[in-house]
Amino acid sequence: MSKQAETNSPDETIELSLYKAHEKVYPREIKGRFQFKRKLAVWVLLGLFYVLPWITWGEQQAILFDLPQRRFYIFGLTLWPQDFIFLALMLIIAAFALFFFTALAGRLWCGYACPQTVWTEVFIWLEQWTEGNRNKRMKLDKGPWTREKILRKGSKQFLWITFALWTGFTFVGFFTPIKELAEHIWQWTMGPWETFWLFFYALATYGNAGFLREQVCLYMCPYARFQSAMFDKETLIISYDEQRGEPRMRGKKRRESEAPGDCIDCTMCVQVCPTGIDIRDGLQYECIACAACIDACDEVMEKSGMPKGLIKYTTENALQGKPTHILRPRTLIYMVILLGLVTAFGVSLANRSAIDMNVIHDRNSFYRVVDANTIENVYTLKVMNKGTEATEYAVQATGLDGLEVVLGLADQTVSAAPGELVIVPMKIRASKQVANQRIHGITVTVSDVAASGENTSENIKYFGYKK
Amino acid sequence: MSTEPISHNRDFNERQLKRIFWRRIGIVLWVSFFCAAVESMVFFALFDPAYLGQLSSFAVDLSPWQGYALGFAFFWAFTFLAALFAGVVLALPRTRLAKRNPHT
Repeated sequence: MSKQAETNSPDETIELSLYKAHEKVYPREIKGRFQFKRKLAVWVLLGLFYVLPWITWGEQQAILFDLPQRRFYIFGLTLWPQDFIFLALMLIIAAFALFFFTALAGRLWCGYACPQTVWTEVFIWLEQWTEGNRNKRMKLDKGPWTREKILRKGSKQFLWITFALWTGFTFVGFFTPIKELAEHIWQWTMGPWETFWLFFYALATYGNAGFLREQVCLYMCPYARFQSAMFDKETLIISYDEQRGEPRMRGKKRRESEAPGDCIDCTMCVQVCPTGIDIRDGLQYECIACAACIDACDEVMEKSGMPKGLIKYTTENALQGKPTHILRPRTLIYMVILLGLVTAFGVSLANRSAIDMNVIHDRNSFYRVVDANTIENVYTLKVMNKGTEATEYAVQATGLDGLEVVLGLADQTVSAAPGELVIVPMKIRASKQVANQRIHGITVTVSDVAASGENTSENIKYFGYKK
Repeated sequence: MSTEPISHNRDFNERQLKRIFWRRIGIVLWVSFFCAAVESMVFFALFDPAYLGQLSSFAVDLSPWQGYALGFAFFWAFTFLAALFAGVVLALPRTRLAKRNPHT
């Protein structure tokens, strides 16, 4: 088969369009009200990321996820593996917040807050500083390897790599004390895991924000694929006003036309798009709702003396001239669930006890006879100190008259270091006259001996003496 | 899904099939990596990596980091197998299947 015939084969055309070669996107820089907000989001979010590990709280790094010790420090709060429920709740809240905001305002997350967007934005800034604006970048890439090109590309790579390494270092600083880590790096005595994660995360940042960019959103992100499930006709989307803009035309054709549309076909909206799409083709899943095209078009409209808003945040209903409702079953349900979860989280966090306890009844016997008047039930008591200081606990039993707790320890209190789980054999004695039913319900309370008197209790079964 | 060959040009077919194959491997690797990260998070929130060393029938001395790494590798490997299996089963043969007579 000749080469000519090969490229003209209809099958091939279809296949090639299915897997089109990746074209590099050169987003044009743009200023405007939405780009200002995005810039602000970048500064706030990345500021938090890079600054937080350096803050100390008491004697501890304010935020430290100590994985080998299995405890998370968050501003004076210490979370243990037993507090997994909080992590789970937090993740569920995050998921519902994402659903809620997506239903309300579309891909807010993608455009403003996603780490992929945020770091890509910074990498594009660095690219602009070193390689110049869009036209210069395109020309530089096409041109031969001159001294200037090497210098510009070299300095871009230097900035990118430095920034990526700093990112990797900060990331590891959330899991290992960052000041010690800085010392280790200074003396080049990092452990194997610190080294691995530092370079791994640096590489991931460099690759994702430097090269993959919009491809992460297009091919790798699961949210991009299922976000349409949260969309309806009242969700905010970025859209081109086709009725107003068409027929688009420019130059001589425009001057001679009787009724040109408002779109002057300057393609600014395409040039600023970080994912390289044409918003005038309609809503596309590639669109991350960064609103760069709105800012670009508004500027052009202003210069051409036409009203702004040819590309704008709108809803499908608004485009069809129907009213838009912010409050609708979808948003209300998401909101109710979200509020419920946040309340549950707040309440359970506020009531979180620094003591974790568990009582297990001995499996071998219901009760044992101690003497003519007394019986005892045997249990295993587990007490965990979830606080940050060593604590001494007293154990009490209530629910029947004259209950006596005997611990299998020299002194009748339980001492636990922070994070320690103490397992103690425990006997609870009662007189035969009082414990005369087959089963009684009693309560065991573990309380801090110190002034705070913090306590927690558990209801357990007590097997009585019944003839 | 079509059971026709992609194109009658064999070279082109092979190139495309290779491309599709590597693309699928990439997807399976990425998806299983993502899921393994979530699985590890949940698993290690409930279990101390130190226990992993005690589970085996012979003594293994694992540091916490080694425990985490081992757990993650385990999850990644098994999720990879699950995703790979799904990928293989989802992909129908691209060439024409044997000609069959319709059941009468």
